[in-house]
Parts: sequence; structure tokens; C-alpha cells
Amino acid sequence: MNPFYARRRRTSSIAMALCLGATIFGLAWLTLILFTLFWNGFAGLTVAMFTEMTPPPNAQGGGLLNAIVGSLILTVLGIGVGAPIGLLAGTYMAEYGRFSKITSVIRFINDILLSAPSIIIGLFVYGAVVVPMGGFSGLAGALALAVIALPVVVRTTEDMLLLVPTQLREAAVALGMPQSYMIRKITWRAARVGLVTGLLLAVARVSGETAPLLFTALSNQFWSVDLTKTMANLPVTINNFINNPDPNWKRLAWAGALLITLAVLSLNIVARSLSGGRNPK
Amino acid sequence: MNEMMRADALTHDSEGVKIAIRNLNFYYGSGKPSLKNINLSLLTNKVTAFIGPSGCGKSTLLRVLNRMYQLYPNQRAEGEVLLDGQNILGPGVDVNLLRARVGMVFQKPTPFPMTIFENIAFGIRLYEKLPKSEMDARVEEALRGAALWDEVKDKLDASGLSLSGGQQQRLCIARTVAIKPEVILFDEPCSALDPISTAKVEELMDEMSDRYTIAIVTHNMQQAARISDKTVFMYLGEMVEMDDTDKIFTSPAQKRTQDYITGRFG
Amino acid sequence: MSDHTVRAFDRELELLGRKIAEMGGIGEKMLADGIDALIRLDADLARSTISMDKRLDALQREVEESAVLIIARRQPVGLDLREIVAAMRISGDLERVGDLAKNIAKRAVALSGEQRLPRAMIGLRHMGELAAMQLKDVLDAYSQRDVERADAVWLRDAEIDALEDSVFRDLLTFMMEDPRNITVCTQLLFCSKNVERVGDHATNIAETVHYILTGEMLPMDRPKGDMAGGK
Repeated sequence: MNPFYARRRRTSSIAMALCLGATIFGLAWLTLILFTLFWNGFAGLTVAMFTEMTPPPNAQGGGLLNAIVGSLILTVLGIGVGAPIGLLAGTYMAEYGRFSKITSVIRFINDILLSAPSIIIGLFVYGAVVVPMGGFSGLAGALALAVIALPVVVRTTEDMLLLVPTQLREAAVALGMPQSYMIRKITWRAARVGLVTGLLLAVARVSGETAPLLFTALSNQFWSVDLTKTMANLPVTINNFINNPDPNWKRLAWAGALLITLAVLSLNIVARSLSGGRNPK
Repeated sequence: MNEMMRADALTHDSEGVKIAIRNLNFYYGSGKPSLKNINLSLLTNKVTAFIGPSGCGKSTLLRVLNRMYQLYPNQRAEGEVLLDGQNILGPGVDVNLLRARVGMVFQKPTPFPMTIFENIAFGIRLYEKLPKSEMDARVEEALRGAALWDEVKDKLDASGLSLSGGQQQRLCIARTVAIKPEVILFDEPCSALDPISTAKVEELMDEMSDRYTIAIVTHNMQQAARISDKTVFMYLGEMVEMDDTDKIFTSPAQKRTQDYITGRFG
Repeated sequence: MSDHTVRAFDRELELLGRKIAEMGGIGEKMLADGIDALIRLDADLARSTISMDKRLDALQREVEESAVLIIARRQPVGLDLREIVAAMRISGDLERVGDLAKNIAKRAVALSGEQRLPRAMIGLRHMGELAAMQLKDVLDAYSQRDVERADAVWLRDAEIDALEDSVFRDLLTFMMEDPRNITVCTQLLFCSKNVERVGDHATNIAETVHYILTGEMLPMDRPKGDMAGGK
């Protein structure tokens, strides 16, 4: 065999082995985490979890109902505020301001925001909302989540709209269609699947956030849907319960963590299947 | 629209000329012009083909005629383009109404992400509010006009994207004729199609040529020879030669035209 | 002219040109030899002239076939299209020239041994020389792409026509002098007609060359010397 070819083959198999090793290393930890989570989580899973409030320390039983509902409210509100703004901003960047300088500035800032530690966002909302309002509140928590969701939605919206072929836009405009009409009726529609995917990813991102909620919605041991008061939520509850020696709390914390993981996992799967399926291009 | 129509009646200077291009220069950004001092006329209800190597400016020229270039900043046209005597590059021209009069069909088929019916009806609704029955008739008329009706009449509710490439392109032509333009610009309409689909689109253009003023940019010289009345050869942003298609393809006057059409370029 | 991007096309056109050139050479030789054989009543030369026609016919078929193939494969336009159409036309004309020369040679064989030859032979020889010159000129014009030379050939055809007229009158007089001359004179009459037709083909080729080079046809009515010819 040609010696150069033999060397190439050797190099190739070494590189392949290294890649494989790295993959196995990464996946091993993930599997371990998931395994631990499922092991402990399923052990703590009960029907009462969905029907009863969080228990006081050193009590028996109890559930996570207030935290689950609180998380749902915060997530829906956060997305409800963040997503439309993000959609419009992303649309501006991809459609109206595609070639303008301000778009690159926005994109740069948005990328910083996207990678900013969420605790900083929590602190920001603490300073901007919690302090002036005089206390922790569900509203502040929702706002913090909105700020986290915003850059995700901006980014995915812009990316997805940029994937829409230019010729489709030109074809619409060539019929004499005003631009705003073209965007609403053609590009959004063409990018629909991608936009929904981005939205789901944003939901998945915010639903597991703990740090920003610590400074904003805090937590609440009792049932409360009042947005001006502190509000129970899964991430903070898990954070509180897991660090406590009380075995009942520990059990609930694992079950709650499993719940969030499953929710995020299913959102991701839905998002994947949407974008993997019929993608109009 | 009414204002434009009135302008027609007043400024019909030379009979038979639909679009007169005068001293047209075009710039992408601030560099050298991409079109240099173009002067030519598109005749009413004739097919004019634009040929030339890539980057010669033929597509750019087409995109000036419906001001498509305006979608992009830094692109700038100087000179005059007279549509029925009215300068469409001038101020105060409503580009949307202009584009309703000057339709365009693109290189790749671009059906909208909606049903076949909606693809046609969509454009009509921009300009007219029609009752359902009339709309149905208009859609049928447009699809028949694009020789597509028989192939899609049983699946008007199917997605426009479910059609074959050639059918999609004819759908795009139907969509364009549905809003009753006067001029249709074809930007390499067959370059993504197989020979059979190409033949169908060519047949369609031939049929349409007695009702519309057609301008077509094509890389396929045989296509230009087959379907056009006039041929324009462009090179490096300049118009080298414009003449009857029969003349261009048998004995062009310019050496550069000769070299290009006979495959002696570069 | 610069080369085609597809060089095989150039080779095909070149081959076509070479075949036309060969045909031209054979046509010229057949005409010259045919006339020579007639004037000198050389039966051997006449027979060898007749035998050359086969090659000419074969070449003409080859030119036609390759021209059709080029059209089918390359879809030539512009100058190329004119070249190929011209090649077909010129090869047709040259093939006819060969036929006419062959016919003259055949008559030379028939006339060999004849003692009493008319004065018109001088005119006939002159006609033959003129036609050969026309043919040579037009083939040069073709190979050198010289439109003026082609046009000159086209205009000069009238001279052959005028000569034919005088040969015709000479032969007529000779026949009236003595009816025994009729057989010989009829043969010579045909020969003179053949030479005149060679001139016509040279003119056709001149028209074709003019078309290749300019893309335009020469006018329908070329200047005519007499009405004894007719087409």
C-alpha cells in the first residue's frame, strides 16, 4: 500500500478514536445526571404532588401544586411579554433593517444578553422593579423571565426569517405588495415552523431558570396567584428543598426537578420534530 | 392607478414603444456603474431577450424596470425609464402600483406557502375585492392563461409547494398575469427547469406575447433565439448590440456579439 | 477569429474547411483536364478526368454528413451557422462542377479521332480558361475570406456568358456550312454549355462567400451578358 495513504489512514483512525472518546465522555455525564434524576425523581413522584401545597419543614406528605401553578403563570407571562417584543425586534432586524448599522448593533447587544448569566438579569430586575415596588412579586419574576426569553426569541426570529429565500420576498413585492403586508402574509408564514420552534426553545429556556427568580418572585409556601406578592415556583422551591436535611423536602425537590426536566425535554422534542419535519424552503 | 392611466393618454410619444430606457446608469454602492448609459426601447407586445455573460448587467437592468433594486440600500439608478411616456424612476411614482403594471417572474419558482388557489387569489385581493364566484372565475382564468388549469383544477386546495418545478413556475406566471400587468419581466425563468417544462413555459410565453410586452433575461441563447422578437446583447454593463433576433443569431453586427453567441468567449 | 471555448468545435469546422479545399482542388483539376482533353482530343486524359469524379462525390457526401452532425450537436449560430450552411452549398456547387467537367471529358472521348475541328475550339478553350480562373479566384476568395475578390468573380461571370454567345454563333455558322459538321458541333455546343454552367457555379460560390463574410445576400439579379445561357 502507498505509504502516504497508510499514514493518512492511521491519522484518520486516531482522530476518529479521539472524537469518539470525547463523545462518550460527554454523554457519560449526561447519562449519569439523567439516571440519578430519574432514580430519585420517580421515587418521589406521587399523585399528591399535583394536588397538595408545599409542606412545612419536617412534615409528612404535601405536594408542589402551588409551585407548579406559579411556574406556569410566570412562564406564560414571561413569554407573553418577551416573545411579541422579540418577534417584532427580530422581524425588524431581518426585514426592515437588514442592511442598517443599527441592526448589527442590536444583534451584538442581543448576543451579549443571550449569554449573560441569568443571575445578573435577576439583579437587574431586582433593582429596576423589586426595590421601587417595595417587595418581591410574581410580576417582577415574570419580567425577569421576559428579559431572558427576549434575546432567544430575537435571535431565532431573525435567523428563521433570514432563511426565507430572498426570491420569495421579491416575488411578493413584485406583485405590488407593500412590505408590511408581505412580511405578515408571506415571510412569517414561510418561517412559521421556525418561529414556533424558537418560541418553544424560549419556553424551555425560561422554565428552568432559578437565579433570576430568587431576586424577583422569590417563593411562597402557600397558594397565591396574586402577582404583586411573592409567588411559588418550581426552580426556587427545588433550590430551597434540596438544600434542607428534611427527607420529605428532598423527595419533593427531586420529583420537581424531574417534572421540569420532562417538560423541557418534551418541549425540545416537539420543537425538533416541528423543525425537522416539513420545512418550507 | 387613475393618475397613471391619465399620464398614459397624455404622453404617448412614440407608437409601439412600451418602455423607453434613456441614458440609464446603475450603481451598486459608490463604485463604478454596473450599467453604463443604456439606451433602448421595449416594443409593445413584443418579446425582447437580454443575453450576455454573467455579471453583464442584464438582470440588473430588468430589476430597474420594476424598481426591484429599491429593496436594497445603496442601489441607485440614474437616467430615465419611460413606461408609456412616464418616467418611473422619477419622484412621486407609487412603486406598488408600478409593480402591478410591470410583473416579474423569477429564476427559481417561488410559490407562496399557501394553497394553489390562494397563491393566485392573494395577488388579486391586493387590488380588487371580489365576491367568491368572481374570484373563482378570475383564478381559473389566470390558471388557464398559464396552461396549468387542467393539471390543478382538482387540487386547488393543495399547497402550491406540492407541485412539480415546472408547474410551480407556471403557477408563478399565473399569479403574475392574474393581476393583469402590461409588462412581464422574466428573469431566467427556465434555468431551474427540465427541458419539457422549459418547452411548456416557452410555449406559454409565445402565447402571451400578443397580449403582454415581455422582457426575458436568459443564459440559454437558443431560448432567446426561439422565443424573442428582439435580442439585446450586453457585456460589462453596456449594451453592445440590439437588433432583430433573426439578425443577431445569423449575422450580428458587432464582433463581441459574434464571439459570445458562437461560444468564442474568454 | 479567436477560437471556440469548446475546441472540438474548432476541429470540426477546420476539418470541414479542409474537405471543401480538397473538393475545390479536384474540381479545378477536373475542369482544366477536361478542357485540355477536349482541345487536344486526348482520350487517356479524358478517362482519368472521369475517374476523379468518384472522389469528389464521396467528399461531397462527407461534407454534407458532417455539416448535419455539427448542426445537430453544436446548434451553431452567427458566423458558425453561415460557415456550415456555406460549406453545404459550396460542396454542392463543386460536385456539380465535377459532373460538368466529367461530361466534357466524356464528350472528348467521343470526339477523339475527329479530324475536322471548327474554329470555335479557340473560343471554347478561352471560355474554359476563363471558367477555370473564375473557379480558382472564388476558391481563393473562400479560403482567404476575401469578400472583394468574391464580388469580382460574381461580376465577371458576364464575360463567360458573352464568350459562350460567340462560340454559339461560330458553331452555328460551321454547321450551316456543312451539315456533316453537325455531330461534332452539337457535342461542342454541349461542352460550351457545360463550361458556362461551371461559371454559374463559380458565381453561386461567390454569392455564398459573400454571405459568409457579410451575413447579407447579394441581389437576385446579377448582371447578365446574354440570353443564350438561361438557367
